[in-house]
Amino acid sequence: MGLNIILNNSLIDFLIIFILIYGISRFRNPPGAKVGNRTAAFALFSAVLLVIARHGIHDPVAVVITLLIGSAAGLYLAKTVNMIQIPAMVAFQHGAGGVAAFLVSFVELTSVGKTHAAMNEISGILGLVIGAATFSGSMIASGKLSNKLKQTPQNIRFHSHIALAVLISIIALGAMSFHLPQQQDKMIFVSMIVLSAAFGVIVSIRIGGADMPVLISFLNASAGLAAAFCGMIIENKLLIACGATVTASGSILTHVMCKAMNRKLIWIFIPRKTVTAKKAPGAKNVSTAVTAPRAVKDESKSPSDPIATAARLALEADNVIIIPGYGMAIAQAQSEVAAFAKLMSEMKKKVRFAIHPVAGRMPGHMNVLLAEAEVEYEMLFEMDDINQDFKHTDLVLIVGACDVVNPSAISVEGTPISGMPILRANDSKNVICCNFDTNPGYSGVRNLLYEMDKTILLLGDAKQTVGRLIERVRSGVAETIPEDEKKPTSNYEKAAQTLTSAKSVIIVPGYGMAIAQAQFKVAEMARLLEKNNTVVNFAVHPVAGRMPGHMHVLLAEAEVDYEKLKEMDVINPMFKDADVVLVVGACDVINPSAIRIENTPISGMPVLSVIDAKNILICNYDEKPGYSGVDNPLYRERKTTCLFGDARETITKLISLCSETTA
Amino acid sequence: MANILLLIGVMLFSFIIGYILISRVPQLLHTPLMSMTNAISAVTILGVLILFSKDIEGIEKLLACVALATASFNIIGGFAITDRMLTYFKKSK
Repeated sequence: MGLNIILNNSLIDFLIIFILIYGISRFRNPPGAKVGNRTAAFALFSAVLLVIARHGIHDPVAVVITLLIGSAAGLYLAKTVNMIQIPAMVAFQHGAGGVAAFLVSFVELTSVGKTHAAMNEISGILGLVIGAATFSGSMIASGKLSNKLKQTPQNIRFHSHIALAVLISIIALGAMSFHLPQQQDKMIFVSMIVLSAAFGVIVSIRIGGADMPVLISFLNASAGLAAAFCGMIIENKLLIACGATVTASGSILTHVMCKAMNRKLIWIFIPRKTVTAKKAPGAKNVSTAVTAPRAVKDESKSPSDPIATAARLALEADNVIIIPGYGMAIAQAQSEVAAFAKLMSEMKKKVRFAIHPVAGRMPGHMNVLLAEAEVEYEMLFEMDDINQDFKHTDLVLIVGACDVVNPSAISVEGTPISGMPILRANDSKNVICCNFDTNPGYSGVRNLLYEMDKTILLLGDAKQTVGRLIERVRSGVAETIPEDEKKPTSNYEKAAQTLTSAKSVIIVPGYGMAIAQAQFKVAEMARLLEKNNTVVNFAVHPVAGRMPGHMHVLLAEAEVDYEKLKEMDVINPMFKDADVVLVVGACDVINPSAIRIENTPISGMPVLSVIDAKNILICNYDEKPGYSGVDNPLYRERKTTCLFGDARETITKLISLCSETTA
Repeated sequence: MANILLLIGVMLFSFIIGYILISRVPQLLHTPLMSMTNAISAVTILGVLILFSKDIEGIEKLLACVALATASFNIIGGFAITDRMLTYFKKSK
């Protein structure tokens, strides 16, 4: 009896709400946040126990089994997901929350023999609509963030009109549900769920790229709001309180993100035409890099080796600020960046990180990545705290950030980023910029910083450029190496370096290998790499060589284990995980034009997906097209290193370089 | 009616308190914050459990099971990943 009184006392609800709020209030610094997170988890767990104790459970077996399945899946994902995938994972979970909210509202609204007060019913309908829209919107966002869907904004014809029509239909259906007999309610609510889900998709597909942090924060708020309304219909204070708190959090984050981009929320959801037209979303995206040749020239035409100059500046600087951006995340360069910071600290230099609020794809994205790379959080500074210091800074290292350092935001009017607060990298004495290319960022606005005299551009994959910079600084002999002696071998050195640092390598042999009689050297190379604990596979295209199974025979002769010779269908999905693909005398069978371009002699031919790999080394005789006569754009990819000439000589040279490095 | 007002009161109160507290969270912790509040938003699990306190059948029961699975996935996954993320944040020794 006494227990019942305690259980049913609503003070206990408030106590749990209080514990939860206390948990959130601990989010001031990382150790506190850890306690806060656990406190909030405890509060929620108590709430679950309280509800079970109060209401009882009718079918404990079903409940326990379902709970276990859901929890196990959640726990498994939480343990295995890597920090790069966090935004996609969080978006996915927003969706899961949305599902639960609309399902509960639906069951509650349609349960037989129950009448709700008008106010409760409206809340239930809102929970249903917002929950369903959050679910579908989150699935789209998660797909975009994990690169399963195109990251660019997708516009359909009459986009805004369709969105408006769907919205009006939802409202009309909602109003109808009050005037129709209860039997027909079910149909109405099901159609509302479908329409709301469609609305979520329509709204989120047109948001992409750098606007994702806004979308993900907004979905955070809407998931909370759905929970709060769901709480109204079942008249549960805990649900309402938690939902409202989450809504507050999501709203704040949305607001911070919008402010940091100097944009109004409404214009992110309804993009204006002028802005969309100018967008160059591929600019920072590795997979769409087709504009490589210009960047290559940039690097070679500059009078002195830019890496040497950069290394000298880094050695001379006393005061360094590093600015990371989404490009760092794409290139997975955070550990190299962390290593650079550590090296600078060891040299007794003052090193800090400047984090723009919208850097990355969700609020705080960069902080998490750098924390995982073991950068101490005391080195991470918010924009407002560090912006004054740039003018006293010797060197700024930019890694994969563009719009957030673009001085045009201040100096030029009428651009999409005008008025957006930026990090004042241009105030510092020198800037090293490790971006992928000089294309504009998401905003499409040319970055004036690139053209300044104090800026040194180290273009290309940030993981590699920062890695090379570290080496140069470490050797400390940046300028003593004569330029002319360095240049001719640099491609080989680079190739050997990528090969020896690779964890998985796929070798693609072609008829050229047979002509050059390079198979023994290729096999030797494979053994050398395996000794270095690299996983080596061979990808054999069905038509490589001059007869079926040609390559198999040649490689078998060279004592390559036949289990390593993989067929096209087996190996094609493996390319995206390969660190290096070594192409020896193959051309048409790796030509991406077969897929991308129509009406060529090879269009529609199945090819090896070499283009998916992180690095590509091409040991072909020359740059000429293969038998089909179709130009091979793979040679000009940024991630490709071409080592033209006789394949046997090339591979021999690579072997000696690689064994030097591994020894 | 009084009950409804109380519920609306709880909603506004939580929103305001939440707003005040959370606007003081540093940007450093924005991702863990979102990840944790994400877990909290699956508090709808309470609603699901209340559904299960009654004798539900057929399609309703199926929907409730789906809701229970997604909500528990969200809660456990959300808190666990936030915890893991926060262990990465280190101070200098």
